Amino acid sequence: MGFWDTITDLVDAATPWATADAEAPAKELPEETTTEATKEEESTEAETAAAEEEPAAEEEPAAEEEEEEEEEEEEEPVDPKETLEEECRNSKQCSPAKHHFDECVERVTNAEAEGGAKEDCVEEFFHLAHCATQCAAPKLWSVLK
Amino acid sequence: MLARSCLRSTRAFASLRNGAVHVSKRAASSSSSGSAADSPLRLNIAAAAATAVAAGSVAWYYHLYGPTADASTPAEEGLHPTKYPWVHEQWFKTFDHQALRRGFQVYREVCASCHSLSRVPYRSLVGSVLTVDEAKAMAEENEYDTEPNDQGDIEKRPGKLSDYLPAPYQNDEAARFANNGALPPDLSLIVKARHGGCDYIFSLLTGYPEEPPAGAQVGAGLNFNPYFPGTGIAMARVLYDGLVDYEDGTPATTSQMAKDVTEFLNWAAEPEMDDRKRMGMKVLAVTTVMFAMSVWIKRYKWAWLKSRKIVYDPPKTNNTPPRR
Ligand code: HEC
Repeated sequence: MGFWDTITDLVDAATPWATADAEAPAKELPEETTTEATKEEESTEAETAAAEEEPAAEEEPAAEEEEEEEEEEEEEPVDPKETLEEECRNSKQCSPAKHHFDECVERVTNAEAEGGAKEDCVEEFFHLAHCATQCAAPKLWSVLK
Repeated sequence: MLARSCLRSTRAFASLRNGAVHVSKRAASSSSSGSAADSPLRLNIAAAAATAVAAGSVAWYYHLYGPTADASTPAEEGLHPTKYPWVHEQWFKTFDHQALRRGFQVYREVCASCHSLSRVPYRSLVGSVLTVDEAKAMAEENEYDTEPNDQGDIEKRPGKLSDYLPAPYQNDEAARFANNGALPPDLSLIVKARHGGCDYIFSLLTGYPEEPPAGAQVGAGLNFNPYFPGTGIAMARVLYDGLVDYEDGTPATTSQMAKDVTEFLNWAAEPEMDDRKRMGMKVLAVTTVMFAMSVWIKRYKWAWLKSRKIVYDPPKTNNTPPRR
């Protein structure tokens, strides 16, 4: 892989008329007699793919690495949405909503124990969920692929 | 006009000399109403009345239409989904086709057992989700009816690229029967068919709480989901961490799968999106070129006008000062 190949690959990746093929790239060279040209073409393709992926990976290296390490430790992946939203629910931003919800749950469970509650906590739940998802949304998208 | 104002001013001068100040005032005033009894109130009464009517009509409007009347409770309305920063929804971004691949895998392995995707043929997957060979292989896994043969019998043949994705049930009745009376809707256009689009689908799939909030009534055979209008949905939570094995090694968390399948469903509903955005870019590019050209052409066409010079060459006169 020469220096000029790298340059042409970058140009190829950036040019708008570069095409994506529906065919899978040929896996193996069929024969030994294949010309130099095909070999070069293939390495070009591979390099283009790599070049395209690089900028995406650079965006959040820290977060991704942490995620991957976690995944290696345990088999079952942990949903970042749950943890992020839990953090958000307990954050200062959502404390009024959480306060109202907790209070409602306590009131309703007490009323139910005494035989029949006249209300539910759906609305309070909505406000809390709205706050938590809103707060977690950008963080979640930076973690997900 | 000129003559009249000249006349007036001479008259004003004259009256000044006479000491009759009020006459000069009258003459200078442009008001046409002649009466000396005009008080400020009389003069402004029309404007004041009009303003009062205007204020009154606005107040009346707000009295009638101002407060919104909600026909349903928040629970009946459903929780409005949060806006997520979908990359493919940005103006100059395309679908992430790796995500579409993962999303199609989730659809095939999870949703396809209940939901049809009847408007998507295998051929449309080629090039945006699958390669030709993959799509062909997948189509061949299913059987389709042939055209009637010489005896009029309809036989079965393996699928082709031109076939549409098979539905899980024979018809809607069978689908209802298998799902406790609830019909799993076709997902081809679901992203366009629901308020909130992608945000709604993603929130719906990931929004099942561990248990419904205290006091909430959940009907028999229903599951609590805050995003579904009415909060009771017949579809139980279907996505759980690690449910599928992604071929590209992406951790298959619930939200990752939901995000991928939602983006895939957006593609299914709007397969022309990438092309549409490219077309938009083309339009912008061509328009900028045309605009630049029009600026140059305008300069060219106006050159004679812009570059002309008007010279006033006064005739020679004798040097008598102008008369006052
Ligand atoms: C076990 C069968 C089953 C599976 C699997 C399933 N669904 Fe459903 N789904 C249903 C049923 C039944 C309904 C109708 C719910 C209702 O009307 O109460 C439904 C409704 C929906 C709706 C419409 C909600 C609305 O607003 O009307 C969407 C969107 C949806 N499902 C998406 C999915 C996706 C995406 C998957 C795969 C990840 C999936 N479903 C998997 C059974 C299923």
